[in-house]
Amino acid sequence: MNEQRREFIKKTASGVLVALGAASGLIPAFSLEKTVLPVWDEEPVPGKIRWGMLIDTRKCRADCQQCIAACHHEHNVPDFKNSRDEIRWIEKNSYEHLFPLASNQVVSKEIRDRSFPALCNHCADSPCVRVCPTGATFRRWDGIVAMDYHRCNGCRACMAACPYGSRSFNWQDPRVAIHDPVTVYPTREQGVVEKCNFCSDRMVRGLQPACLEACPESAVTFGDLNDSNSDIRILLGSNATMQCRPQLGTKPSVFYIL
Amino acid sequence: MIWAVSRMEAKMKISRQFLIIAVSALFLFAALYFFRKGEAETAPPALHPPSAIDSTKCIAPAAFMRAKHMQVLYEWRNSSVRAGNRVHVAANGSRFEKSLNTCLGCHSNNRFFCYNCHMYANVKPTCWNCHLSPMETPR
Repeated sequence: MNEQRREFIKKTASGVLVALGAASGLIPAFSLEKTVLPVWDEEPVPGKIRWGMLIDTRKCRADCQQCIAACHHEHNVPDFKNSRDEIRWIEKNSYEHLFPLASNQVVSKEIRDRSFPALCNHCADSPCVRVCPTGATFRRWDGIVAMDYHRCNGCRACMAACPYGSRSFNWQDPRVAIHDPVTVYPTREQGVVEKCNFCSDRMVRGLQPACLEACPESAVTFGDLNDSNSDIRILLGSNATMQCRPQLGTKPSVFYIL
Repeated sequence: MIWAVSRMEAKMKISRQFLIIAVSALFLFAALYFFRKGEAETAPPALHPPSAIDSTKCIAPAAFMRAKHMQVLYEWRNSSVRAGNRVHVAANGSRFEKSLNTCLGCHSNNRFFCYNCHMYANVKPTCWNCHLSPMETPR
């Protein structure tokens, strides 16, 4: 074997190794993540898709906080360590909190002790969208109630309108309280309202919601409510489910199996 | 004797070559397998297949971008956030993602890329209150 050939093979092998390392994420190729773009050359059809989430609370462990940790890390949600400035996209709450008018006046101790992940319900008829004076909160073509932080002027009318308390206000500059920032998602600034975005940012990258991926019990199902063959519709068809305060007529897109 | 040794050497050479080729082929197959596996696992729920995006060159000539980048970014932010149209088609037909990261993919090489001109022109855009500026992008 001559020297040139030996060199060639050496270099090729190291090239393959580096490429593998980059592909597996050991060597970051570029700090800002590339987007996997869906073919959205033309405007998406409004109302064709309606994203929804189903949470099987029978599987949800009361002591587990992994969905919250994953979501808040993924979206640069600040942690101020005090309840007055607290920002939350997803939290865990009790039965009475989520279903205050549910007809079960006497519930089993097991259900009373269960914890229920609560997030923005992405209502089909959302009060926050109706009251927003600047159009910063709007219902997207795919049913997600989104925030356009560029337009939010911090009037907090949406926080008053939301019956679920899913929204938080940035009283301070959130950047000082983000302990482990990610580069793939922006932060917010002082004076804007923020909330769960149903991981529309991750969907653009071809990923499932962060809470779904983090759940160790696979209690979360995400899918298209308008597609009768989707996993979520099949589960909705075969289980008794509840929504948060359906009597308000907001038509939430988040469902719970009790 | 000498003849026998050189023949053995030749044999060893051939076997070594074979070994190298076999190992690299195995490696490639393994890599291919893991790539495929990774792709299958991270498949989104019901999204469309990804389209080819070229982000190696600028979306418009430098003179145009110097004068009009604010209009371009304003249009991008509205159409991508609100209308969901995330693909920018340049005048020459090449396609880009409507994202600040498309710009920073090249321009984060210069830490003062935005800052220099904005200082000179005394404009204070609010982009970097939330987005990562070239100064802050980790490398």
